[in-house]
Amino acid sequence: MNVMGIIFANDANMGELSHRRTMGSIPFGGRYRQIDFHLSNMSAAGIRHIGIVSRQNYQSLINHIGSGEEWGLDLEEGGLEFLTPFAMSSSHSYRGKLEGLFHAMNFFNFGPDNEYVVMADSAILCNLDLNSVLNAHIKSGKDITVVTKAGIANGKKQLDLAIQLNESGEIADIAVDYAAPDNYLASMDLFVLSKSLLRRLVQECIARNLYHMDRDLVLGSWQRGEITLNVYNFPGLAMFNESVEEYFRNSLALLNSRTRHDLFYYNHPVYTKVRDRVPTYYGEESSIDNCLVADGGMLEGSVRDSVLFRQVTIKAGAKIENCLIMNDTIVGENCELKYVILDKDVVIQPGTQLIGTPNRPIIIKRGEKV
Amino acid sequence: MLVQKKRCIAMLLAGGQGSRLKVLTEKTAKPAVPFGGKYRIIDFPLSNCVNSGIDTVGILTQYQPLELNEYIGNGQPWGLNKTRSCAQVLPPYERHDKKSGWYKGTANAIYQNIDFIERFDPEYVVILSGDHIYKMDYNAMVEFHEKSGASCTIAVRDVPLSEASRFGILNTNPDNSIYEFEEKPAKPKSTNASMGIYVFNWDVLRKALLEDEADPNSSNDFGKNIIPGLLNAGHKMMAYPFDGYWKDVGTIDSLWEANMDLLGKEPAFDIRGDERHKIYARNNALPSSYIDEKAKTVNCFIAEGSEVYGSVQSSIISTGCTVGAGALVENSVVMPGVTIESGAIVRHSIVGENAKISRNAVVGGVFTPEEEKAISVVAKNTVVETGTVVLPGEMR
Repeated sequence: MNVMGIIFANDANMGELSHRRTMGSIPFGGRYRQIDFHLSNMSAAGIRHIGIVSRQNYQSLINHIGSGEEWGLDLEEGGLEFLTPFAMSSSHSYRGKLEGLFHAMNFFNFGPDNEYVVMADSAILCNLDLNSVLNAHIKSGKDITVVTKAGIANGKKQLDLAIQLNESGEIADIAVDYAAPDNYLASMDLFVLSKSLLRRLVQECIARNLYHMDRDLVLGSWQRGEITLNVYNFPGLAMFNESVEEYFRNSLALLNSRTRHDLFYYNHPVYTKVRDRVPTYYGEESSIDNCLVADGGMLEGSVRDSVLFRQVTIKAGAKIENCLIMNDTIVGENCELKYVILDKDVVIQPGTQLIGTPNRPIIIKRGEKV
Repeated sequence: MLVQKKRCIAMLLAGGQGSRLKVLTEKTAKPAVPFGGKYRIIDFPLSNCVNSGIDTVGILTQYQPLELNEYIGNGQPWGLNKTRSCAQVLPPYERHDKKSGWYKGTANAIYQNIDFIERFDPEYVVILSGDHIYKMDYNAMVEFHEKSGASCTIAVRDVPLSEASRFGILNTNPDNSIYEFEEKPAKPKSTNASMGIYVFNWDVLRKALLEDEADPNSSNDFGKNIIPGLLNAGHKMMAYPFDGYWKDVGTIDSLWEANMDLLGKEPAFDIRGDERHKIYARNNALPSSYIDEKAKTVNCFIAEGSEVYGSVQSSIISTGCTVGAGALVENSVVMPGVTIESGAIVRHSIVGENAKISRNAVVGGVFTPEEEKAISVVAKNTVVETGTVVLPGEMR
């Protein structure tokens, strides 16, 4: 079976965290970037040709992924391609995913026409077996398979694409950008369809100045009766990191061992860029409780209910609770931090006090000194 | 056939059994023994090569090579898999003239790979061994060698006089030139111990290897034959003093000590160091470590992929280990993939890869600071059953 992958790296934003990077390159879970999860899903399923569509701020993403060797994607044939605006036929950024795809049509010229395409979005993290999704897609005989997750819709969260099934499992309603009630399934922005159909639908939409994946390609085509849809409801864990609040909550959810298992081990290992840091040193006076800790740390203070990324320094007397502390950040002596996200390369001067709330964590931008 | 002209290449002797590490090297070559939470011993010389700008390394393997070969792979973790670099594993092989077979000694191992070295037409060859923990700039040593105009330069370090008779001792003139070499002398005249790191002019070494091979009485060893031979032949030989951290981890005690040297606020061996002296290793795809609310982690190194629910003090916990609730690990080296179940106690021990210390088992003992510590060892893949006691100094 020939399958190509597409990962959208930045079709959302998370304020200060995505200020100078793509959604795909936002750090997550101590040692990963968000894009690692779909790259690992695709790599584990044997997908050997993957295009990464990004519209801006993609330097950090390119730096992270490099040749793709960590994911086994540094190949003679296929491998990874960055479909950046520069590589696309027009140099301006795109309005919606369909424009991104349209500009990258050359990517689809590779390989035979009878291929399938899996499209994913790096804001939604999961560890799933794409081969079972592909097999279900083929077995269904439908045009497009949408992977969904139950329990995400709650009447408040705005869903990109919400689907309601009737009692016999057929699609009763599809809505876009909709705060759907809890009897809807949330699309995981993960689709399977044939390459030829994707090309045709993208061209049809672009020809009519339509560029929105969910509204125009999925909902529009379905309403006009042009396509049939299959729903694959994923029973495992899916983390929708579409806002700072969700990102923060999902990060701290990793302190639960079941959640860690479901995200890191459920179907396959998750690969990321190797950084060759030394193991973390826990000092004589340190007190680390209920934390996820990456390599390279130098811990002298006390930290609880937090995630510490690579090469973090926590000086003696610092008290940290419910925080995310990213790579190479230094927290000085006797600081007190609660509900704070410290981005990479931040320096917190000794004695600083920063107190956020669970719904509104304080974010200190990359490279800042406080 | 000349592949590519190189000024300097390295040959890493990694074939020894390391029999003094006993159960730890029963199925593993010594250079592949885990160290410091996420490394293996061979990562140190290999990373030193890369950090010294030496991009061509021949690795001589012989004893239990499977794991070592797999670990080295194509040299990718050290960046030795590029167009202009290589990490080439060199096992013994059979030759048409039958003048080959198992490596008879360190010099014979290099002799049998003269063809490999000739492919790079080097000026200098650095000879290294795969059983030392240290960070060193080999390039500085090669520069020293070149400037001195010597045929051979040997790295030396100052050892206490009481220990000097365990080493090869180099007696030098004030200008660091060597006038005498004594292998493990009963009455050492100096405290300049050879570190087993040599830089040779390749033409000199090549000739010496051919002559050594032709001598039926030679044990084909660098320390016993090649070095004294060159000295007697009147070659200029220099001692290159090195005062950084260096440890031969050839015994259970020294392996344990070297691991303990990583700990503390100002560790004896600062493995962190600066970016230019990073130690590279083959990495596992494991998530970050989880430290539970009830866990106690004091003065320890914990590598990624571990889950700690119990108490860990003054210890090294390697990649992918689990320390269960109520378990106690003290003054120990826990190698990758080990499970220590609830209530188990591990003290003054080395626990081999993927071993399991079952519930309430007790491994090792407690010692006063004056007492000599008897380190207990649990071999790779061994299960210490529930309630079992492994005595201080015992091996399982």
